[in-house]
Amino acid sequence: MRSDQPFFLWRHLNKLRWVSLSVVFAMLVLLPYLHVYQTYVAAHAYDLLAPSERQVYGVMETLTQPFVGDPAEDLDAIKGNTWSGTFWGLKLSDPLAAFGQMAAGLTIYWPFWLTALIPIALTVVFGRFFCGWICPATFIYELNSNFASWLRWAGIKIGNRHFDKRIKYGVLALGLILSAATGSVLIAAIYPPAIIGREIYYAIAIGGFGAGMMFFIGTLLFDLLVARRGFCRYLCPGGALYSLLGRYRLLRIRRIVETCNDCAKCNAVCEFDLDPLRDGFGQECNNCTACIAICPTNALTFAIRPTDYPAQGPGHLGRRYRSEHAAGDESAAEHREAA
Amino acid sequence: MKRRGVLQSLIAAATLLAAGALPYGVSLLLAPGRAAAKRNHLRPPGALKDDAAFIAACIGCGLCGEVCPPRCIRFHARDGGVMVNTPYVDPEKKGCILCGKCMQVCPTEAISVIPQNEINMGIAEIDQTACYPWVDRGVCGACVSVCPLGEKAIGFKMWNQYRPIIKQGCVGCGLCVEVCPHPSLPIWVVERSQQTAPLSNV
Repeated sequence: MRSDQPFFLWRHLNKLRWVSLSVVFAMLVLLPYLHVYQTYVAAHAYDLLAPSERQVYGVMETLTQPFVGDPAEDLDAIKGNTWSGTFWGLKLSDPLAAFGQMAAGLTIYWPFWLTALIPIALTVVFGRFFCGWICPATFIYELNSNFASWLRWAGIKIGNRHFDKRIKYGVLALGLILSAATGSVLIAAIYPPAIIGREIYYAIAIGGFGAGMMFFIGTLLFDLLVARRGFCRYLCPGGALYSLLGRYRLLRIRRIVETCNDCAKCNAVCEFDLDPLRDGFGQECNNCTACIAICPTNALTFAIRPTDYPAQGPGHLGRRYRSEHAAGDESAAEHREAA
Repeated sequence: MKRRGVLQSLIAAATLLAAGALPYGVSLLLAPGRAAAKRNHLRPPGALKDDAAFIAACIGCGLCGEVCPPRCIRFHARDGGVMVNTPYVDPEKKGCILCGKCMQVCPTEAISVIPQNEINMGIAEIDQTACYPWVDRGVCGACVSVCPLGEKAIGFKMWNQYRPIIKQGCVGCGLCVEVCPHPSLPIWVVERSQQTAPLSNV
């Protein structure tokens, strides 16, 4: 019997993913406070601050004191959000920002494209990993999905409609066209991670949400009432771009057909409505590893190859395969004995 | 038969595109836009002078605001329209200190690094029928003393020591507007092309 076990740590990658999502989100909340603290320091304003502002000052001072000498300058090391940011001088930008800006100005500005190069390269290798591992909107959307399943558990009907997943490619194409027509990066206004990043900044440092928060709440309601993870599945232009870039990604999830028992938990847990049970990962898989974590027989693992495995048929531990191969097949007989 | 298939797929593609318009429509409804004010609406220093080009180049990441030490950079929200999420400085609330951090951090060409004397956010104008010293309501000089560029940007009219006058060197940072004690703010910043009051080259 040829059945390779996946490396045991891969079951736990999903927890690591939640750590990553939480850290990104926490940073998006922390950075605006750090900026406010920096402005207080730069203005030597401690004596003029209101009590609540002094509280911010104190907390941020405690947090950063071990790491910085001069907060007003040194805290500039990490700035920005997932749409565009700088880390110790390394500027990184979302590939969608580069495409959107190119469309809006109808020019290519190479220094900006260089900042998108590392994310593009990572997307080509790891596929849509941004959506599962970094996107601050995913953090909220997945909590929203959990909330929806609580509601379902409590007997409240939650929408679970299905649309055509190709709509998001339309959103991407239309976004580029509209950006070119209006001369403004319209995609930035409807792309949830960009919205989250700047709205948190507006709310904390400037005082009050901007125009994007209502849009984001709208997408949350859409996910809750109409379609599970509906915005990511059907509408997100970023997801569309990364799916296209990651179409021939090298790192994929594959099903080990010998140990699969057709329980379909992977299909139920997949946020993106993919079909791991029938080897249907496709270009939209974001390697979030939720299916690896839930698989009861360790039948999902990583593979390094540019295309999905062709459909391998029913899992060998499943009822269907066993009844089909009841006579003669060694492994099925073995498992029958074991069972 | 084949033509029918092509037609059907064309209709399907058109439907997908139309469905894709939905989020853009919603976002435009949420930020209907309003004409920007003619005065005291400044782009950050080093911003592209052509405002249409600036809007096209800006991706709305907010980095310029996030490094601004006086937090003078604000962002268009519901009043934005196509310029939603682009940065601006409202000197009535906070003026720019010309530190140049936003120039260095901007990932796109929207704000580029330029020397301080080439900054052109606008130019200040003074209403000589309202400013306290100009109408003989006492002495002031707040705008002159706060100006980071000094002599070449703003000065006092000769013989009338506290009457401020704007000079060619003004880059429009707006600190004078922020500091002006007059409730109706008889000093403001406009685009250089819209400047009406005569400049003094004294």
